[in-house]
Amino acid sequence: MESIKQNPLVKKVGFNRIVLCIVLLLMYGLFCALTGGAFFGLRRILSALNYAYFLGFLSLAVTFVIATGGIDFSIGPVMFCCALIAGFCFTIYGVPMPAAIVISLVVGLVFGIFNGYLVAYWDVPSFITSIASMNIAKGVASVFTKTQSVSWPQSSQEGGWFRNLVTFEDVPVGLIILLVVAVICAIILNQTKMGRYILSLGSNKEAVRLSGVNVKKWEMSAYVLCGLLVGISAIFFVGAYTTVQPGYGDTYNNEAIAGCVMGGTSMAGGLASISGTIIGVFIISLLQEGIMALGLDKNLQLIITGLIVIVAVFADVVARRRKN
Amino acid sequence: MGEVILTMKGIDKSFPGVHALDHVDLEIRKGEVHALMGENGAGKSTLMKVLTGIYKKDSGTITYEGKEVEFHNTREAQDAGVVIVHQELNMLGHLTVAQNIFIGREFKKGIRIDDKKMNEEAKKLFDRMHIDIDPTETMCNLTVGKQQMCEIAKAISHKAKVIIFDEPSAALTEAEIEELFKIIRDLRAQDLGIVYISHRMDEIKVITDRVTVMRDGTYVGTLITKDSTKDDIINMMVGRVIYEDPKTKNMTPPGAPVVLKVDHLNAGKMVQDVSFELHKGEVLGFSGLMGAGRTETMRALFGADPIDSGDIYVNGQKVTIKSPQDAVKHGIGYLSEDRKRFGIVVQKTVAENTTMADLDEFANGPFINKKKENEVAQKYVESLATKTPGVDQLVVNLSGGNQQKVVIAKWLTRNCDILIFDEPTRGIDVGAKNEIYKLMNQLAAEGKAIIMVSSEMTEILRMSDRIVVMCEGKKTGELDISEATQENIMNMATREIE
Repeated sequence: MESIKQNPLVKKVGFNRIVLCIVLLLMYGLFCALTGGAFFGLRRILSALNYAYFLGFLSLAVTFVIATGGIDFSIGPVMFCCALIAGFCFTIYGVPMPAAIVISLVVGLVFGIFNGYLVAYWDVPSFITSIASMNIAKGVASVFTKTQSVSWPQSSQEGGWFRNLVTFEDVPVGLIILLVVAVICAIILNQTKMGRYILSLGSNKEAVRLSGVNVKKWEMSAYVLCGLLVGISAIFFVGAYTTVQPGYGDTYNNEAIAGCVMGGTSMAGGLASISGTIIGVFIISLLQEGIMALGLDKNLQLIITGLIVIVAVFADVVARRRKN
Repeated sequence: MGEVILTMKGIDKSFPGVHALDHVDLEIRKGEVHALMGENGAGKSTLMKVLTGIYKKDSGTITYEGKEVEFHNTREAQDAGVVIVHQELNMLGHLTVAQNIFIGREFKKGIRIDDKKMNEEAKKLFDRMHIDIDPTETMCNLTVGKQQMCEIAKAISHKAKVIIFDEPSAALTEAEIEELFKIIRDLRAQDLGIVYISHRMDEIKVITDRVTVMRDGTYVGTLITKDSTKDDIINMMVGRVIYEDPKTKNMTPPGAPVVLKVDHLNAGKMVQDVSFELHKGEVLGFSGLMGAGRTETMRALFGADPIDSGDIYVNGQKVTIKSPQDAVKHGIGYLSEDRKRFGIVVQKTVAENTTMADLDEFANGPFINKKKENEVAQKYVESLATKTPGVDQLVVNLSGGNQQKVVIAKWLTRNCDILIFDEPTRGIDVGAKNEIYKLMNQLAAEGKAIIMVSSEMTEILRMSDRIVVMCEGKKTGELDISEATQENIMNMATREIE
């Protein structure tokens, strides 16, 4: 075991990520076997990917916040808020589709700025801030849409072209966009000042502050980036599932955080992996698809993702303890 | 000295990439104070952690009271009577003294905690130690010295037979150290075996019976303290002779310009009306007892804590410093007394810590130039002789002295003209200390202005060109090195201004 971990190739790719990939393949095999082969094939994979797109952006978003040592429980409801407000503007006010997409991003950004400002400049714990803004997001969306659900256009309808961002003639465009954004996120995290400061302040904020770094600005930047990615995720959510209802979205918090911590991002801050997050998201998406294919209770997924979060965080705690 | 109570034989321990202990031996007798000495990274702490079950040894044997033992955690070690008094105090500030001492094994009356009994028992412990501490006092109201006494009382209450002191004097004043020694002598008279880890050579001569020296994870030898000289011990530790000569005259070039002027600075209770000037190429020592307000003054001046009033001038220009960012912009660098909390980011690499204060210099737009970063970090690893397998090593894996060098590298990279060294050699051994002294002198000679806060009198007298003395948040005196003696500094450090 130890010798495998010390293998240079394994070290480079990351032991944790290799294990996750194996888990992913085993899960796929298991679902195929359990459904008597019905799970096998492109259709199920594309369907699982639909789930992976929006969840991927959400999970990337929260990865940055968790890297600072914070947490964001507002991402799911904020994603719904973006989709509702932008969709309402399109369907009721007749705003053109490109503008609607921009509105979605702006709403996400506003929440990111709000959360980030409170956490970084007013020292409100991120736990409290994000729970409060979760409720604010739900409330704002309900008020704006007068508690109606909003349906985004079908591909045949006017403005329906935005669905090409998700799939275009069975080509999973969304996957390409997600991976490109993930690469950009990885570059931000590992190659830029912003990423360096985010990870450093997640590890020891006071030491970074005493190095003369504007920690408030950089801490806030993580939340702002998070908000922008949440705004993007909203487009991919409606691209796959069309209709959003006010008052929901919390369940995706758990799934996004699960994907992130499973991938090796530490809840204690200072340690994050973008590739890990993406693989984690694929696992959650496949799980969701598998549970559907097997005709099991959908609530089972809530239980399983809840357990995944606990197990992943516990594994991180154990790893830290062993290091010390 | 009585019979042998504890023997560690051939203890071996490796971490990934580091052979931390290489067949180390240690023998403790009843009724002796046994010094454990060695440079940073020599393996003293690791050895004690193996003993108390924090680390698992790879090989070797531990014999305690005639039986081979292996403790799996500190709790097991405690129950057997092997207790460690840590350098960093592990006290809960908001509980009372008695509650802290009996934490985890509180006396109970039914399901209620019996505070009265705990207070009585704590009182008995203090009586036995001949010290006067009120068991009902809240811990955070006590001085660091008193807190340490409580830590010792806690150790004794475990019916300890072997007590390990890990640099107990690092945070104590001279008077408190005297008191500590009295207690240690008492414990020795009660036939306990005592391990005493310290870097202060003078203390070793005063308090210990035998000295075991370690170097680079190996056992060098054991000496009888009274039969050996200071130089013998130092030679064993570093394999070379070190000369400690105090400065006798002010080395600042005459007419050197004032680079920093602090005028009537006030910040909270601990900084009251402090004024001083710092010249180019000067080492300005800040002396005083624990809690004199020296660190607070430095933190306020550096923008780490808010200032109530007062002016700061850098190179004659009045400047506003509201945050460390402002201070760094004006060329001030601060090396904190508490490296782990304030100095380094332990989960980051040597290179990443080196460039932390000056990342803009290593960035093209938003992107970091890692090649340049590694080159500069490597340069400082070489010039400061930092012991690390490479610049990509996580700082958490380095020893205290080497972590300090990384912090120094950070500020040198930033090219600050004013450097504040707050207890620069705390927890650092003689060899590394000497290197840091040399480095500070060299920096001063290059024209940097240095403030050195230190609680060690010898360090103040050895390094400073001028000395500012503080007491209870006020400046109580200023001396040129030529007129400074231990006595007149001590006088000022304990005197209130009328």
